[in-house]
Amino acid sequence: MAVRTVGLTKEYRHPWTMKVTPGLTDVSFEVRRGEIFGYLGPNGAGKTTTLKILTGLLKPTRGRAWMLGTPVEEVSSRRRLGFLPEQPYFYDYLNGVEYLEFVARLSGLGGREAGEAARRWLGRVGLGDRARLVLRKYSKGMLQRLGLAAAMVHEPELLILDEPMSGLDPFGRRDVRDLILEQNERGATVMLSSHILPDVEALCDRVAIVLRGRLERTATVGELVEGGTPRIELRVAGTPVVELPATLQGVLERRTSGGDTVFTLHDPARQQEAIAWLVAQRLEIRSVTPVRGTLEDLFMAAAEGAAIHASVERRSA
Amino acid sequence: MNALLIAHNTFREAVRDRVLAGLVVAGFALLALTRIASPLAMGEDLRLTVDLGLSGITWLGMIVVLMVGSSLVAKEIDRRTIFNLLSRPLPRSVYLFGKWAGLAGALSLVALVLAAALGAVVLLMGHAEYLPSIAQAAYLACLELAVVTSLAVLFSALSTPVLSALYTLGLFLAGQWCEDLRRFATQAPEGLRTLLETVANLLPNLPLFDIRTIAAGAQTTSPEHLALATVYAALYSGCVLLLGSAAFESRDFK
Repeated sequence: MAVRTVGLTKEYRHPWTMKVTPGLTDVSFEVRRGEIFGYLGPNGAGKTTTLKILTGLLKPTRGRAWMLGTPVEEVSSRRRLGFLPEQPYFYDYLNGVEYLEFVARLSGLGGREAGEAARRWLGRVGLGDRARLVLRKYSKGMLQRLGLAAAMVHEPELLILDEPMSGLDPFGRRDVRDLILEQNERGATVMLSSHILPDVEALCDRVAIVLRGRLERTATVGELVEGGTPRIELRVAGTPVVELPATLQGVLERRTSGGDTVFTLHDPARQQEAIAWLVAQRLEIRSVTPVRGTLEDLFMAAAEGAAIHASVERRSA
Repeated sequence: MNALLIAHNTFREAVRDRVLAGLVVAGFALLALTRIASPLAMGEDLRLTVDLGLSGITWLGMIVVLMVGSSLVAKEIDRRTIFNLLSRPLPRSVYLFGKWAGLAGALSLVALVLAAALGAVVLLMGHAEYLPSIAQAAYLACLELAVVTSLAVLFSALSTPVLSALYTLGLFLAGQWCEDLRRFATQAPEGLRTLLETVANLLPNLPLFDIRTIAAGAQTTSPEHLALATVYAALYSGCVLLLGSAAFESRDFK
């Protein structure tokens, strides 16, 4: 296993009131070697807390974690790790090549090797022509690229990336996707957290969803998406004034889109009935499109489910 | 090896900081002032120049410790640059030691530049016999600043920059009076004596590093004194950094 956590729990205790706030509760999961693993959750769900425990920046209150077989409390567990923190910050008095050389040497590369790797990686992330520019003059996107280069400069076996697409334009996001896939093809295991679900869907082999500090589900992207509810979208020309039939109430919804009307049918088995009704209304059907559940839909459903569950728990308490 | 990397980076940060360059300029200005004020010294202008020049090394160095040292680690935590370091195979104790070594190195460079400037002024006045005493006093000032820097690093790792500066300044001032405290303890009742002696032993013995008065008279100290001061500075700084490392080890970085 590249990463293993067992019952990982983090509680924050207020220094004056001694009130305990749970940050992470009993989280157990495994990341297999060679896979790209997505770690999803809304803000404050516990994603960054988990990643910081793995990288030694936070100490767990309970539970244990291992990276590449070594307990995370041992410094040596970070020897083969590349980590990109969320919104990375750098020494603004250094230039790009100085910074990468410095962190490459900290990760174990020799002086000459570190210098070569620094220049190579600056070029790889599109900053080759800014190698001597001081970091205080870098834009947010450039700093994000530098952070990725810093995580990868020593070609680690395990990459942990906290919101790697943050602050990047669509071209930058595509470059980062390519970079992650390239590292994975090289043999690196990648664990990433992200809010940009289409990117996670395109990249990840498996995902875990964490909500309110608890792990809700771990599955392959395919399993999650197949498990979702499919629907059919029927697009008709114009915005006709028609009343939805009583027999399709609750399963058929209407909205306008680009001058057309889109009817969404939530029960695909009743497709013929819906089409027959549209024909009977003399509407011009432009397209009939089956739509599978996206990761975003499933994520939102899981979040709503957890919110309902928490509210029931609060009421019963 | 990693301690050297952190030290080198801290040294680079300090040298590129305008504070350091500004204080070197202030040191030169102080030397110039002693020359301008020499007619008022009533024949003691050389003594005044050497004394003020050597005091300038310590006090200007102290300003660097308070302005840079007190926020040395706290700033890294606040700006989150520390995440990129401690997520690598870098023990926290090595990180702290590297930070201390880097700033102590930068302070030694400032002391060297100011001592060289003072030496040049003394040479121009035709008093080469002052050079050994200036060199000894500057060396001891470097050791004193290294000890105070270790305290600044300790507080900076555990507190905010403002509190850290206050604690460091407090211990620096208390350390100047630790011999007085020890003398006072000899006259105190038994219970209080033990307490005062313990406090005096825990405070940094900074008078050990002060030979400015004898240096102003072109006198040098013994090699034994220099060796004792060196060993004391190494042991005291080492103990402070070990204490800081133990507390820093369990710190969370949210």
